[in-house]
Amino acid sequence: MSPLDASSAPRFPFRRSEPLQPPAEYAAARATQPIVPVTLWNGRRAWLVTRYEDLRSIVTDERFSGAFAHPDFPSVTEARVVVDKQERAFVGMDNPRHDHYRRMFTKEFSTRRMMALRPRMEAIANRLVDDLVAQPRPADLVEHLAVPFPSLVMCDLVGSPYEDHAFIIRCAAGRHGLLQTPADAEQKARELADYFMRLIRRKEAEPGDDMVTRIIDEHVRPGNLSREDFAEIGAMILRAGHDTTTNMIGLGTLILLHHPEQAAAVRDRPEVVAGAVEELLRYISPVQFAPRRVALEDVAIGDVVIRKGDGVFALNPAANRDPAAFADPDRFDVHRDASHHVAFGFGIHQCLGQILARVELQVVFPLLLRRLPTLHVSAREGEIRFKDDMQIYGVHNLPVAW
Amino acid sequence: MSEARRFTVHVDVERCIGAGHCVMRAPKIFDQREDGIVILLDPHPPLDQLAAAEKAADLCPSQVITIDAAP
Repeated sequence: MSPLDASSAPRFPFRRSEPLQPPAEYAAARATQPIVPVTLWNGRRAWLVTRYEDLRSIVTDERFSGAFAHPDFPSVTEARVVVDKQERAFVGMDNPRHDHYRRMFTKEFSTRRMMALRPRMEAIANRLVDDLVAQPRPADLVEHLAVPFPSLVMCDLVGSPYEDHAFIIRCAAGRHGLLQTPADAEQKARELADYFMRLIRRKEAEPGDDMVTRIIDEHVRPGNLSREDFAEIGAMILRAGHDTTTNMIGLGTLILLHHPEQAAAVRDRPEVVAGAVEELLRYISPVQFAPRRVALEDVAIGDVVIRKGDGVFALNPAANRDPAAFADPDRFDVHRDASHHVAFGFGIHQCLGQILARVELQVVFPLLLRRLPTLHVSAREGEIRFKDDMQIYGVHNLPVAW
Repeated sequence: MSEARRFTVHVDVERCIGAGHCVMRAPKIFDQREDGIVILLDPHPPLDQLAAAEKAADLCPSQVITIDAAP
């Protein structure tokens, strides 16, 4: 394999030619040159990893760092570099610091606690569908369900007032866009951490039955966690909890409506639902430019040598379409076992909120399809706007009728 | 099925991140502490649990579960 500064490296990210499929370059690379060099916005080169097994081995290999602040850490935009450099939450740390901080939060997102939220989630989803059916048709499913549902669940869990959710979503978009300026991204990151700091102080004065109050009692008061570090971690949790599930609901509904027999199975057969959610996660893989790493030393993988300081995008949307891991990978099939997908990443940084996301999606899809059995997309050609301008993929709008 | 037909499960608790895949896949073998960290309920499960244990080991994001076919 040629060195990484081979002049052929195409510009990354690529554009999608089909909105519901990953860029065609991923499959082409996987078949011929599965670890392939690309050129980033700043002219720097990085490697794309397109095979499932390579992704899993790289993100569990400590010769690769996940430290966002590393000077050679790869990024898809200049704005993202600016916020990566200031990342103080464990999402951007290597071990042993990562585990030290993450373990303070695992209880908040445990399977047991998330399962216990189910009835509350069902009540929220039912109320939102009530609001949706009160709208003139067609109505935007993103505005009336995909955005408010995870926001309301998250506000409940964290203890933030729901009227703040539009502000939180703006801050998340400022981080996750592909087009914003570095100054804007930096300001949005700062505003959200400042917001969370005010929330911490409010909960110190007026405790509630929520995550912020519990973390204060268990970790801030005993001196294990500074308020500043908690504010950064809290901002990360708010961003992640609002933006990702929203995109899964919007795009997931669109895909289910494209496959009416499978949608009927999700609606009528409770035993299909969990597997269908895994398949939607695999098929959509919304966090499309992750996981990222930087090599801490030269590493040989197959006939490629990734040099010390090289950036790596281990692309979960590519790995999740690897035929070596998923038979006939471009076919959407809610009846397959897709549970080994890597849409939440893999290794120590695998999504902290993945059980929350799964339970939310397991609640929302069958409920929506049961409540509105005639639900269908009601959009003019080109009316649905796909998120080609965002790092987290999805739809900006989804006009539906019933 | 004789009592002897069992296999062995190890977990590295120090490296567990509490993702919970093991509990979902093999609840007879694994549980979680209140903070999410793994509890090994049965280090020598019967062989009919082997497939579930192997799936749990495969899904574990921090790769802290090892399966030994020997009892």
